[in-house]
Order: sequence, then C-alpha cells, then structure tokens
Amino acid sequence: MSADRLSVRHDDGEPLLQVAELRTHFRTPRGMVRAVDGVTFTLERGKALGVVGESGSGKTVLARTVMGLLPKRNVNTSGSVRFGGVEMLGLPQRQMRELWGTEMAMVFQDPMSSLNPLMKVGKQITEPLRFHMGMGKSDSIATAERLLRDVRIPEPRRRLNQYPHELSGGMRQRVMIAIALACGPNLLFADEPTTALDVTVQSQILDLIAEQRRDRNMAVILVTHDLGVVANYTDEIAVMYAGRLVEKAPTRTLFSNMKMPYTKALLRSIPKLNLPSHTRLDTIPGRPPDLVHPPRGCRFAPRCANARDRCTEEEPPLLAADSDDHTYACWYPVGSPEYREREEQLKRLDDRRVLAAEEAG
Amino acid sequence: MTTTSMDTMTAMPDAASDERVATKRRLPKLGVTFGVLWLGTLIFLAVFADFMPFIRGYGQSLDGATNTRFGPGIDFWFGSDTLGRDVFARCIYGARTSLTIASASILVGTVVGGTLGMVAGYFKGWVDRVISIFTDSLLALPAIIIASLLVGRFDVLADSDIKFLGFGFGWMSRTWSVTIVFSLLSIAPVARIVRAQTLSLSQREYVLAARSLGASTRRVLWREIVPNVIPALTAVIFTGIAILLAAEGGLAFLGYSVPRPPSWGSMIADDRDKIEEAWWTSIFPCFMLFFTVLAFNLIGDRLARRFDIREAAL
Amino acid sequence: MRYLLQRFVQFLIVFVVVTFIVLAATRIGSSDPLRDLAGGQVNQERLEEVAADYPYLDKPLVIQYGYWMTDIVTGDWGYSYYQSQSVMDMFKQRAPATFFIVFWALVIGLLIALPVGIYSAYRRDRIFDKATSLSTFATISMPSLVVAVLLLYAVAARTDLFPTVGGSNYVAPWDNPYEHFKNFFLPALTLGVGIGGVWSRLLRADMVLTLQSDFVTLAKAKGISPMRILWVHALRASVLSLITSVALQLGALISGSIIAEQFFGPRGLGDRLVFAIQQNDLLTLQAIAVVIVAVVVVANLAVDLLYAVVDPRIRAARALT
Repeated sequence: MSADRLSVRHDDGEPLLQVAELRTHFRTPRGMVRAVDGVTFTLERGKALGVVGESGSGKTVLARTVMGLLPKRNVNTSGSVRFGGVEMLGLPQRQMRELWGTEMAMVFQDPMSSLNPLMKVGKQITEPLRFHMGMGKSDSIATAERLLRDVRIPEPRRRLNQYPHELSGGMRQRVMIAIALACGPNLLFADEPTTALDVTVQSQILDLIAEQRRDRNMAVILVTHDLGVVANYTDEIAVMYAGRLVEKAPTRTLFSNMKMPYTKALLRSIPKLNLPSHTRLDTIPGRPPDLVHPPRGCRFAPRCANARDRCTEEEPPLLAADSDDHTYACWYPVGSPEYREREEQLKRLDDRRVLAAEEAG
Repeated sequence: MTTTSMDTMTAMPDAASDERVATKRRLPKLGVTFGVLWLGTLIFLAVFADFMPFIRGYGQSLDGATNTRFGPGIDFWFGSDTLGRDVFARCIYGARTSLTIASASILVGTVVGGTLGMVAGYFKGWVDRVISIFTDSLLALPAIIIASLLVGRFDVLADSDIKFLGFGFGWMSRTWSVTIVFSLLSIAPVARIVRAQTLSLSQREYVLAARSLGASTRRVLWREIVPNVIPALTAVIFTGIAILLAAEGGLAFLGYSVPRPPSWGSMIADDRDKIEEAWWTSIFPCFMLFFTVLAFNLIGDRLARRFDIREAAL
Repeated sequence: MRYLLQRFVQFLIVFVVVTFIVLAATRIGSSDPLRDLAGGQVNQERLEEVAADYPYLDKPLVIQYGYWMTDIVTGDWGYSYYQSQSVMDMFKQRAPATFFIVFWALVIGLLIALPVGIYSAYRRDRIFDKATSLSTFATISMPSLVVAVLLLYAVAARTDLFPTVGGSNYVAPWDNPYEHFKNFFLPALTLGVGIGGVWSRLLRADMVLTLQSDFVTLAKAKGISPMRILWVHALRASVLSLITSVALQLGALISGSIIAEQFFGPRGLGDRLVFAIQQNDLLTLQAIAVVIVAVVVVANLAVDLLYAVVDPRIRAARALT
C-alpha cells in the first residue's frame, strides 16, 4: 500500500486544485445526461470558491466528480482534475481513499441522513482518525472531543456517546463538519450545508466554516443555490447553468459588475430583508433545460428575456471581462447596448401593463 | 482483496431513478416466459392425461415390465419404478393431485384470509387486535407438524361414526383433509399481507374522500379497497401455491398426503432408498416438483415486483 | 419497559391459543382420550391406572388444557406408554439431535446469506450478483425434500464420507467433532441451503437501499475501506428484516428437521414426532408441540429486543411509550 502513496505537493507555487474541461455524463435509459459539461476553474490554497446555480445545474455533481465520489457505473467522466499536482481522474479508488478525509473532505446537505443513525457520534468522528492517522483509542477520543469543542458543541464529552437522533439539526451539521475536519483536509467541499437547516442556524454554520477555513488555511468549495449565502463567505464565485460555468469572478467584482443575465436573475430571485414588504420577487421563468438534449446556442437563451437570434444559434464562449479573473459566457452581457435597449423595452411594457391594470381597477 | 471500488455506493439523484428500474429487472423476462410455458404444458397434460395416448395409467405396470426396472429411454421417458409403473405417467397424474390441492387451498385461504385482513386493516381497534392474535397464532403453528397431525386425525375421524350436527365424516378422503388443512394454514399469511395493504390504502386521499362524502363502509370496502388489494393478491396466490406445493411434498413424504393418484412427494418418499439402483424413480418427481415450484415463484415474483409488495411477508 | 410488557402479554396469549389448538387437534376423532393416553389396546387394569393419574380426561377441553399446561410448566410431562419412557426422558434424549440440525442449518444459512447478500448488493447487476440472484431463486424454489434427494444422490451415495440413507447417529460435538460433522452436515445442509437463499435475497434488497443512503456516501468520503463500510456501516442498518426472518423461519426449520431426520438421521424430536402422530401418543405429541411453539414465541420476543439493540432510534421511541 505504501508503495502507491501519492505524492501530493503542498509546497511549490502550484495551485491546490486545477479543473480543466471536466465532463460528467450519466448513461440513463433516456439517453446521456450531461450533468457537467466542460468546466474549467482553478482554486488556490486557502481560498473559498462559491459554486452557485439552480437545482439541476450540475453543481453537486461537479463537487462529487472533483472529489471522485461518483459511482463508476453508468458514468462517463473526462477532462482533468489536478489536486496538488496529481491527476485525480482515473485514480483507483484505493488511492483515492488515502486522500478522502486527509486531503479533501465533504460536508453534505442533510445531516440527518448523512450521519450513520446507528453509530454513536464519537465513533463516527474517531473512525477516520484511527483509519488514516493510526491513532489509538484514547488519542482519537481526545481528538474527537477537541474537534467537537472546535465546532462549538457544548458538553463535547457527553455528545461523543450520543446518537445523531439525539442532537438538534444544527448540532448534527456541526458534527458533520467536525468529521470533515478530523484529519485536517486542505480542501473542504460544503454541498448545500445549510439548506436542510433552520434559518437562524444557517449563518452560524457558515460562520463556523469560514472561521475554520481561516484557522486551518483550508480551501473551501461552497456549493449552494443561494447567491446571498456565498456573498459573505467566498473569495470567488462560479455560476453554473446546465452543466456549464457561465460566469466566474471574485466575489466583490461579481456583485458590483455582473455580466451574465442569468446571474442577475439569480440575484433578483433572492428575497431581501431590506426591501419593503410585499415587493414582488422576480422568479426565473421556465425550468432548467433537459440535460439529455440541451438547447442549441446559449443554454440559458430559452429563459432569457434578453435573448436574441444569435443566442439560440451560437454558443457564447467564456470571455474575459474588464479583468482577467472575471469571465462570462454571454453575447449580450449586462451593460451592453443591446442589453440596455431590451431592458428599456421591457420596462415600457411593464409600465404599460401597470397602467392598464390601474385603469381597469 | 483486489482493487475494490465503492462505486455502487453513491447514487446521484439523476441516476437514482433508473437504478431503481434496474433493481426491478433482476430476473429477465425469460423467467416468466418459462414459468407460463411450463405451467401451461403441465396443466394441459394433467387435465387431459386420460385422453393422451402417450400417457399410461398411473397404476398400470408396463408391458413385460412387472417388477423389473427400465431406465429412462424412448419407450419409457422417465423409466419405470420398482413396481414396473411408468414414472412419466405418474409424474403427470401427480401434477393433477398436487396442483388441485394447492390451488383449491390457496383460493379458500385467499377468500377467508383476505376478508379477515381487510376487516382488520379497515376497522382497526379491537377487531384488528383479535384478528391479529388469531393470525399470529396460526403463524406460530409449526406447519408441517400440525398438518400431519390434523390429516392423521381426520383419517380417524373419517373412519369413526362420530357425527357433527347429524353429519358423518365418511366423505373425508385424504384429498379433502389435505385441502382443508392447507386452506387453514394459508389464511394467516394472506390476512397479514391484505391487512398491511388495507391499512395503507385506507389512509389514501381517495378513500378518505369517499368516506367524507358519506359513502357506506360496505361501499368503501367494495369499491375502493377490494379493487386495489386484488393486484397484490394475485402475487400472493402464485407464491402461495409454490409454498403449498413444497409443503405437500413434505407432507406426502411423511405419509400424510394423497396416496392415489400419487403425488410427487409420495413418489419421492416411496423410492428414495432405491436411489442408487434406480435414480430416475425419485429424481424425476424431484425435478417436476422443483420446476413447478420455480414456475409459480417466477410468476409470483414478477407480480410482486409489479405491485410492489415484499416477498418477506410470506 | 411498558412496550416490552405489552409485547410479552401479546406473545403469551398467542402461546396459549396455539397450544390450545394443538391440544384440540389431538382430540379430533378421538372418542376415548384415556385409551389413547394409555397406549391403545390395553387391559382394563392399565386403563384404571392411567385414569387415576389423569382424572381430568373426561372434563371439558378447556379444563383439560388447564391441568395439562400446569403439568407442562411444573415439569411433569407425563409417561408415554407407547415408548415405555417418561416424556421428559425422551425429550432429553432426542432434543440435542434436533437442536444441532437446526443450529447448523441456521449457521449454514447465515454463512451463505451474509457474504452473498452483502457482496451482491455491493456489486449490483454485475456477474456475481446475477449469478447469485439466479441461484438463490433456484434454492428458494427447492423444497427441502428435493434438496435432500439431490444431496443423497449427488453426495451421500457417491462418497463414503457420510453415513448412508438414514444411517446418521447423534454424536455430540464435544465428544467427537469429526463424527459430529459427518452425521450432521447433510441434514443441516438440506435445511440451510433453502433459508440461505431466502436470507440472501432479503439482505441484498435491504443492503441495496442502504448503500444508496447518504451516510454510506459520507463514510466513503471519510476514506474508510469498502469492507468496513459494508460490514460495519451498511450491514447493521440492513439486518432488521433478516433478524425478523430468522425468528419466523425458526419454527419452519424445526418442522423441516422432521424431513431431514427421516432422510439422513440423526433421529431427534422430529422422528419421534412422526411416530407419536401415527400412534396418537398424546403426551409425547403435545409436549414436543409445546416446546416448538415456545421456541418460536420466545424467538419472536427476542427479535423485538434485538430491534432495540440494533437501532437506537427504536430504543428511544419505545422509551417514550
């Protein structure tokens, strides 16, 4: 086993994670589902990347492909995933196993179903410790207790002997984070870590992840459908649509200067606390496209208010915006003359409708 | 261990649904086709055995074969048994006996057990508790033991001049008593399954709707519950027959089934000690029993998957 | 606690009902239970002797049941005039053979079911799964009678390793393990193959569902070895149906032991039972039936307890009621 040990490098200037032209296709009776269809990005050590998109955009599949958790059966993967200079795609599971937990770990969406209901919390945390670090029983228990304290769980010693169903939802998610952090990974995937939780607990969990990231100089990939969530907790944001990256930028740049109409639509669909009540939320019309037969041209075009003929015929390439680290895939991005023209038309239309409604009422 | 991958372990949402489809397709359609063909042929031969020129009488010795044994061949397909009788003919007549008893019993069991299960599942409360204790008790009975005991006692009863409500029991041949016992034993499993089905059905929207509209209990049971229980029952019937066929084999082996026409079990029991000299006398009835049970199981399994009931219930 | 008490009472009622059915069944068609008890064709003296021992035989059946059950519980199982032996002695003599047949059948069944069920779920729809799926389907369609004949034909008749038809004797494993194995292997296999198939299928079905659950993915993401995930994480979450089935099948196994004993020996309770039914040896018959029913009922109770051991959530839910 030791002969196969991977030489993952953490010293030279190489980025932690380089994903290139990654494709994950599922073979189903209906046809090939192109869940991830050509995704490229780079993640530096200790940085946090937010992957945002609607459900079905391929963001969860992307995370699992990068980590190598997908079943082999009925799945075709191609492209490249380099982690610490080592190509991960196509590595045998036996070698992947050495990286799981120690180099990369994942926090799942639903802590209720992701923790083993029949195993005490303590054992679930000590398991990777003993497996990877070769810790003895008492060592691993002490470490587990420390981990629980790190993730702000009160009375950690008592919790070790409890089962998941005896904990609250927020507490379970903290346990899951403790498990993920146990072996000190350099990359943490957080797959919708707050979706299954109470609103009041959500920010606590995100704060916790951010804090641990800083303390451990750990890179984080935060997968979520909520653009609002990633705003405060990431350095960079990648927006996914129908298996592709459609816009990627440093968080601040993205919010100040978003180019993709889809990103804008996502942002508009989030309820904001500072808006007057009864403000109408703009939902994105239609559904994400069928990934077996994605539409020609820009995949968002059928749902895009600004789409023109070119959008449904030619697929827009990823272009750099004002700075190199901001890329987007759109023929008529936000701020372009065509975009503004269409916005005005729409606004006039809307005004007329409101007027008509007022007259009728 | 070779390089084992955990690849079946994670299921993506997209793949999950078709993986479930894949589970349902565990046995190829071939199985059901075989089951139907086998049963069709067997039932046809068993019913019309008397008119088939190539099926001899089950008690009749082969010409010039009294007391000698022939192996399987062109003349005697399955060979002849120790008394010089045609094993093939006896297998076919055996099918008649075994299938009649099994299917008659499962029908009685289904009607009685189905009614009990439905009543228990629909009315709940003390009705359910009483019926459940009854079915639990039947299930706790050691089946083969109680069956041979009862058949043995029924023999005594038939020979005696005991009368019940003015009726004697002289009519109780072995065929009758085995059928009665098997009917009794098949009540509980059927009742259990139907009770579970009814319990879930009676919580469904359309049943609740019918009740809230003031439909009478009888109407709800007949119009809403019965039609929805029947699909599950078809699976139960096929699997049940398979189990009863096996049980009949065991009973016959112990000497408590129908001796004439011979059932497969009694053929096996009679000649098992001759297996070294004349394997065909017991191996062929074994094959008949196995393939017939298999055929019923295959069809029952397909139906159960189709209607989504667990096989564990039987 | 209250839950267990409830279950206990429930099982007690079932036990009483079942044993009463057994008692009633032995009396069908019998006009003179006293004569049956005394051993059939016997002289008047013997009849009077027996009548003095069992003065309740002319009472209604319910009363008889009361007397009889009291005797059973207090350990006075009576005397079999057919065997010229007390029923308790007979039981002590015969029970070990049946016990070991059933025990080894259970072991064989589980030795088949655990690896086959787990591995075929893990490698679902691959060759191993397809092959075992076919063969388990074949074995569940194979009545133990058929298995016995095939074993007899394919193994017993061809090798000198095992005793010939009906020739097995009871040898305790602590006296001579090898002889014990020789005498018990075929009868245990006769019963074990079939239930092994049933349990493999049960376990596979549950394992397939468990392996799709999130906590298995998390265990995988922790970097734990597949074997540990299968045997530690997934198995425990998938054994409830299996445990239930073991208890349910226990009664069937003991009954099935009759056929195995008749075919291969060693002669245990099943063999005695066959004669008891033929001779209408009431006390022997009733005693054996009671023991079997008691075992089945206790096994079901044990399963209820095991549920709580396996799943802490069930423990918690029961503590509330």
